[in-house]
Amino acid sequence: MFRNNYDNDSVTFSPQGRIFQVEYAAEAVKQGSVVVGIASKTHAVLVAFKRNAEELSSYQKKLFAIDEHVGIAIAGLTSDARVLSNFMKQQCLGHRLTYGRNMPVRGLVDMIGSKAQINTQHYGKRPYGVGLLVAGVDEQGPHLFEFQPSGMTEEMVAFAIGARSQMARTYLEKNLDAFADCGREELVRHGLKALKESLVQDRELTIENTSVGIAGVSKSKEDGSSVVEPFKVFDGQEVNAWIESVADDKEGGGDAAGEGEGMDVDA
Amino acid sequence: MVRRRPLTPSSSFPPKAPCFHNPPSAFRTPNESPHNLGYMMQRVTNHHTHKTTDVHRHGLRSRQLHLLPDGRNFQVEYAVKAVENGGTSIGIRCKDGVVLAVEKVVGSKLLKHSANKRIATVDRHLGVVYSGMVPDGRHFVDRARDEARAWRDTNKTPIPTADLASRMGGYMQAYTLYQSVRPFGITAIVGGFDSELELPVDGEVGYGPSVGAGGKAPDKKHGGPFLYMIEPSGLYWGYYGAATGKGRQAAKAELEKLDLGGAGALTLEQAVKEAARIIYLAHDDNKDKEFELEMSWISASDGPTKGKHQEVPKALREEAERLAKKSMESDDEDDDKKDDDKMEE
Repeated sequence: MFRNNYDNDSVTFSPQGRIFQVEYAAEAVKQGSVVVGIASKTHAVLVAFKRNAEELSSYQKKLFAIDEHVGIAIAGLTSDARVLSNFMKQQCLGHRLTYGRNMPVRGLVDMIGSKAQINTQHYGKRPYGVGLLVAGVDEQGPHLFEFQPSGMTEEMVAFAIGARSQMARTYLEKNLDAFADCGREELVRHGLKALKESLVQDRELTIENTSVGIAGVSKSKEDGSSVVEPFKVFDGQEVNAWIESVADDKEGGGDAAGEGEGMDVDA
Repeated sequence: MVRRRPLTPSSSFPPKAPCFHNPPSAFRTPNESPHNLGYMMQRVTNHHTHKTTDVHRHGLRSRQLHLLPDGRNFQVEYAVKAVENGGTSIGIRCKDGVVLAVEKVVGSKLLKHSANKRIATVDRHLGVVYSGMVPDGRHFVDRARDEARAWRDTNKTPIPTADLASRMGGYMQAYTLYQSVRPFGITAIVGGFDSELELPVDGEVGYGPSVGAGGKAPDKKHGGPFLYMIEPSGLYWGYYGAATGKGRQAAKAELEKLDLGGAGALTLEQAVKEAARIIYLAHDDNKDKEFELEMSWISASDGPTKGKHQEVPKALREEAERLAKKSMESDDEDDDKKDDDKMEE
C-alpha cells in the first residue's frame, strides 16, 4: 500500500528529495479521462473525452467556462477541480470589477499555482488531485497552460493530460508545427484526432462522450481592432459535424458491421 | 504554529502527541525513562534502516526526529537533494553590475518556447533565480516581492539587496523550524544593484543630516552590485560568483577562474558572455536533454539597464550563446588532441 515511511504527508521529504504525496497526486491525474488542448495564433481549443459511471448515468462534465475569455479542462478529482474552478471564477470577476477588463491568463494560472503550492508545504493539507488545461485569450492573444498538483504551471503550444494521454501527446508532437497557423475548425479537428489516439480499443468518439471548448480572437474587418470570441463549450449535437469530419474511413466501414454484431438479442 | 498530527482513535484524550521526551507508554520498555538517550538513539537507527517499529504497528505515524543527536536536520538535507537535481543557476557579480543565468531543461517539445520564465524581478533593481522545485521558487519570489514592497512602504526607499537577502534567509529558515511545514526545495540566487546616487526619499521634504546617525558618512561609497545565495536551511552568503543546481560543481570551477573582485575585473557585458559559456559548459555532462538559456542583468543607473533588473536583450544573448557554443567546440578539439597525444604515447 505505502511505498515507504516518507509518503504519509506532504511535509516530508524523502532522502532523495522527493515528496511522495505530490507524486501520488500526479497519479490521480492519470486516472481521469483524457483532455487535449491546442493553441494557435487566433484560437485556443480544449477537447475532452467524457466518461459515465454506468450505462444509464449521465456523463461527467470535463470542460468548464471560467470567465468570458477563459475555460478549463479537468483530469482527476472532479471535486478538487470545482474548488479551483470557483476560485478562478472569483479571481476573474474580481479583476473585472477592479480593472474593467479580462484577467490576463498567465496571472490567473499563477494564482492557482501558488494556491496549490501551499498545499504541498503545510501539514494537514493535501495536494489537489487534479490536473488542468487552461485555455483562454487576453491582450497577448490565445494561451494554453498546463496546471499540475505540484503547483507547476507551464505555457504550452499543445498538451494532453489524463489516462493514456501519452498517445495524444505523441500525435501533438508530430503535428506541432502545423498548429500556429491553423484556423478554428482545423484546430478542433487536430484536437479530436489527438483525443482519438488516446482512446481504448473499441471506443469511439460520440456526441455523448465528446466536448469541445473554444476561445478566440480575430481582427475586425472594419477597424482592425481585435474581436474576442468568448469561451464556449460545445456538447451533444453541436459537436456532431466535427466528429464526423475526423471519422476514420476504414473504421467507419467496419463500424456498420460491428454494430450489427454487437446487437445482442435476448433470444 | 506547531500543529499536532491527528492521533488514532485508540489514543487517549486530551491528545498527547508522541514526542521524544514523552513517548506514549506503549513504546516504553519497563526500564527506559522518557528522557533516556538510548531511546532516541534507537529511533535514529530505525530511521536509517526503515524497519517497522512499534510506532508503525500501533498505526501512529513515525515522526521524524527533527534534530538528530549529532546536530543534523535530515529534512533540510533532503531538501538540498531536491535542489541538486534541478537545472543549473548561476549569478556573477562584476564591477558594474550583476548577471543571473539559468539552464532550463526542456522536459517536453510541447512547451511554448521562451514563454516560461524562471528568472523573476522582485523589485526594479532586484532579480531572483533558483534551482530545485519550481513551485517552491514561485512561493519564494512572491514572498520576496511582498518584502520589497513592504520595505518601500515603511522606508520610502528601495530595499537594499543585503536586507532582502536577510529577510528571505529568515523566511526560509522559519520553514525548517516546525513539524507543520517543510523546508523550501530550492536554493535561490538574489542579485541586485543598490543605487549609488543620492536618491530623494519618496515624499521627502527638506534635507536630512549630511553626516552622522541617519545621514551619510563622508568619504564612504554607497550602493553598488550585490549577489547573495540562500540555501534551504536559510543560510546565506554574499558572493562574487554563485552556482547551484545539477551542474554547480563545474560552474563553480569556472567561476573561480574569473577575475571578479580584482583590479582587472570583468565588465558586465563580458560577464554575460561568461555566464552563457558556464551554463553551456555545466550542461555538457547531461547533453542528451535539450535546454534553454535564460539570462538577466542589472547595471548602475548610468549602465545599459539604467539600474533596473531586465532580461538580457535577445541580440546580446544570442551572441553570447554563439560564443559559448564555439568555446565548447574548441574545448572538444583540445580534448581530442590530448587523446591523440596519449594514443601516440
